Amino acid sequence: MIKTVNLSKVFKTEMVETTALNNVNLEVAKGEFVAVMGPSGCGKSTLLNILGLLDNSDSGEYYFDGIEISGFNEKQRTNLRKGNIGFIFQSFNLIDDLNIYENVELPLLALGEKKSQRRKKVEEILDKMRIGHRKNHFPKQLSGGQQQRAAIARALITRPKIILADEPTGNLDSTNGEQVMHLLEELNTTGTTIIMVTHSLGHAERAHRIVNLFDGQLVMERSDKVFEPVRKLLSAI
Amino acid sequence: MLLRRIFKEKLIYLIIFANLIIGYATFIVISQFISGQFMWDNYNTNYDRIYRLQLFMDQKENTLKHTWSVTAALSRKDLIELPEIEKIALIHDVGDNNKSGVFLSVDKKNQFLSRFGYYADQSVFDIFTFKFIEGDSNQALTKPYSIVLSKELADKLFPGGNALGKQVYGENKVVFNVTGVFEDLPVRTTWRPAYLLPMLSYAVLTGQKNYENNYWGYTFHTYVLLKPNANPAAIDNKIYDALKDFRKEHHPYLRPMAKLNVNPFFDPSLYIAIGLLTFLSVLILILSSINFINLQTASATDRFREIGIKKTMGFNRRRLWFQFMLESMSLTVAASLTGIFIAQLALPSLNNMIGWGSFPNILENPKLIFIILAVTLITGFLSGIHPAYIISSYNPVAALKQKFISEKSNGINLKKILVTIQFSISVFMLIVAFIIFRQTNFMLTKDLGFNSQTILYSNIVTSKEGSFEPLKQRLLEHREIKDACVSDYIPFILPGGDDLNWEGGKPDEKVFVRYSNISYDFVTTYELEMITGRNFSIEYPADRNNCLINETAVKVFGWQDPIGKRIKASGKNYDVIGVIKDYTVFSVSNPNEPHLYRLLQDSIVSNAVYSINFAPGKEKEAMNIVKEEFQKFFPDDAFEFSDIKFLTQNEGAVKAFQSLQRITGLIAILTIIISSIGIFGLILFMTQRKMKEVGIRKVLGFSYGSLYVNLSSWFLRLILISFLIAWPAAYYVYKVLPGANKYGVQIWEFLSASLIILAVAFATISYQIIRALRVRPVEILKDE
Repeated sequence: MIKTVNLSKVFKTEMVETTALNNVNLEVAKGEFVAVMGPSGCGKSTLLNILGLLDNSDSGEYYFDGIEISGFNEKQRTNLRKGNIGFIFQSFNLIDDLNIYENVELPLLALGEKKSQRRKKVEEILDKMRIGHRKNHFPKQLSGGQQQRAAIARALITRPKIILADEPTGNLDSTNGEQVMHLLEELNTTGTTIIMVTHSLGHAERAHRIVNLFDGQLVMERSDKVFEPVRKLLSAI
Repeated sequence: MLLRRIFKEKLIYLIIFANLIIGYATFIVISQFISGQFMWDNYNTNYDRIYRLQLFMDQKENTLKHTWSVTAALSRKDLIELPEIEKIALIHDVGDNNKSGVFLSVDKKNQFLSRFGYYADQSVFDIFTFKFIEGDSNQALTKPYSIVLSKELADKLFPGGNALGKQVYGENKVVFNVTGVFEDLPVRTTWRPAYLLPMLSYAVLTGQKNYENNYWGYTFHTYVLLKPNANPAAIDNKIYDALKDFRKEHHPYLRPMAKLNVNPFFDPSLYIAIGLLTFLSVLILILSSINFINLQTASATDRFREIGIKKTMGFNRRRLWFQFMLESMSLTVAASLTGIFIAQLALPSLNNMIGWGSFPNILENPKLIFIILAVTLITGFLSGIHPAYIISSYNPVAALKQKFISEKSNGINLKKILVTIQFSISVFMLIVAFIIFRQTNFMLTKDLGFNSQTILYSNIVTSKEGSFEPLKQRLLEHREIKDACVSDYIPFILPGGDDLNWEGGKPDEKVFVRYSNISYDFVTTYELEMITGRNFSIEYPADRNNCLINETAVKVFGWQDPIGKRIKASGKNYDVIGVIKDYTVFSVSNPNEPHLYRLLQDSIVSNAVYSINFAPGKEKEAMNIVKEEFQKFFPDDAFEFSDIKFLTQNEGAVKAFQSLQRITGLIAILTIIISSIGIFGLILFMTQRKMKEVGIRKVLGFSYGSLYVNLSSWFLRLILISFLIAWPAAYYVYKVLPGANKYGVQIWEFLSASLIILAVAFATISYQIIRALRVRPVEILKDE
């Protein structure tokens, strides 16, 4: 599904150069649930942005569904992104001026689907997320958990091949966080590939595999269990 | 801190500042223009007590209603008895100032054609404020054959100065002694003589021996000075029927000097125009204030960190509010002072451009400065409230975290209202400016109904007698001269008239009809159109007892078939032989009046006007020819020729319309500039506010095109709403616009004004949106 070869990204300002990603080689298979962990500033979000086609890498190769796309321009990336990738953000990123229904409907609008089709899909997914009764409310009128469920609904509505979640539980209390994790797991069992950035080891451990980033480098990958030293390292931070 | 920010954010502050300066400078300039209209004559020490005697003529429609040409007997017999009156001054033109001037000279050789000479009582110096440079104002007009000169004329006649006691020749015949020189009167003066002769000499010099008992000759002007606390209404009551034995429909009254410029004859036109201008200038001020609010709030978005930190460190809301208020106030005050400075700098060129001596120096007008400063503080405060409130009320955590303003917005919010107001005002102003511009253009370019392009006319006073025919024949020998005539008045030189009965009218009903005496060729020389009947002709000797009238006269008299009808004028009966199509006799703004034309006997009259119709493009040649021929024909008389355009283009109403047109043009341009700034600010604000949405939409895969439509449709909706508000409002203004000669308003004016605003909006929107779209979504959606 996803494969990167020596992916690198450097941020330059007038004074300093920061290496955000340094020769990252990562492979995610179809249907996999991968958690990305690492301290603040290690490049997690940068990696996710590049994987999500929101940003370009400086060097290296990126294969999405077998296509090398690191040289794509913005328009091509936009077209590829549309309907194929769903995003979930820590701060939900719902549009304040639109109500929940309209927010969830957005990706279908971008795809240019018919109105009747859109209505059907939106209502279905809102009910599934148990926020159908709040569809006419505006984001600010909802609780954090409800907002995140709406954001997830929005990410799922196009049945994307892959979901990229950037700390989806970061702004939620444990109950709501748990609900979101449950949703993601459920989604994964139906075949959706998920890459999730998280600070929470507990949530990370529910993925098939954990990838650790440190100073822009992939320090280790493991499935099942996290190594003791890493656990120490993480708890030290 | 503010200065540092200004340097850091040059662009936005440049825009904020330019916006305010334009707003204030426009307001100041228009206020100056308007207050200039009310400052006429106010340099007179007795300003509040000076009144002009006028007449109200209670007669038919389409005739003259008010005049300030009155009889001498009214002042000499009636006013003089009234206890409320302190001084009366009787004034009469020397010659006819409407028409021509008088040739003055010092040495009988270099003669200067001098207009605006008046016979006047010595009391004019008690009523009006004249500053004498030479001579004694207490006795300057007490001796016969004195002459008092304005400085301008004195400098012309006596370039070396010291005019006092010297002699001046009038038409090389009469000798006057200079008894005084006064400083030139300000431009904004209603009665502005160039020189004065004593009323004592009027009877001798004009032959009007019995003028003081004359209730019939409406050629004098009268100004009075009331005693302090005198009630003018009481005087009006006493003199209301003073003319009942002569013309019972005429009623004298006093008009205060303060009204003589803005509203001499109870016609609200100028008030409406002034009101409209005031309204427009206030709108510009509101526009720039709204812009200021929007730009301030927009530029404040990147100050969250500052606010957050300050709040965390214990600054309270009041203090932050105060800080932002202070910034807002200092910006407006600085802009206002710069505005005054710029207005002051622009004054000479504005005076040149707008003309009419319209703009008083702002420093002459402390009241205006006070008003402007008050307005500045108020707008500064009002436009500061919103941003200061919004900014200071953010909670510190949110302020630290948030990068962009996000307001609660469902349905109608303040921003939307401001935007709609902004667009409505811009569109409204532009349409109104269009309407005023077109209306004035209509007045200025309308067909005057006579040849106003290729005519030369003379200024000459002669004692020669005889036939005009030989001179005419000599002139016509030249190919460059097409036609020539002689008449006592010509278009744009207003003749006098009399109250007449007409055939078929009630025996006691009279209307005021103007008279001209014209030669056979007047109609052809001025290319007037005959509607029915025929022109005077040398083949009909009886034409000396016949007359022509104009269309309006036919209308006023109510005649179905005017030919052959009889009119009695100056005690003689005249039969109508033809009707001349109405043409503009005097002013582009006034309605036409009844007019009677009699045949000028084929002889030269002392102060007739000679008109020459020359071949197009041959003005110079024609001028040389007439000079040569007149020199031969009138060897003893000084004369001058002028182009008819000099008259038509210098007429008061024409100049007023030009001034109005130019100032409206100025307003239109500034409106466009200021609304572009406003739209720029708004869109900057909106795109910042919508950044997050743009980011999200981009992440979701929306194309640039759809994002553009999405962002701009927001504005488009508001712009359309604003059209709905602006159009009827502008149409209403068109409806209440005064004037006998209104042009027909057209839909394309509304459309084009709206399109301009739309184009400006879309240019700015596109620029901003494209900028916003270029930002990578990653930047926008970053969670810190």
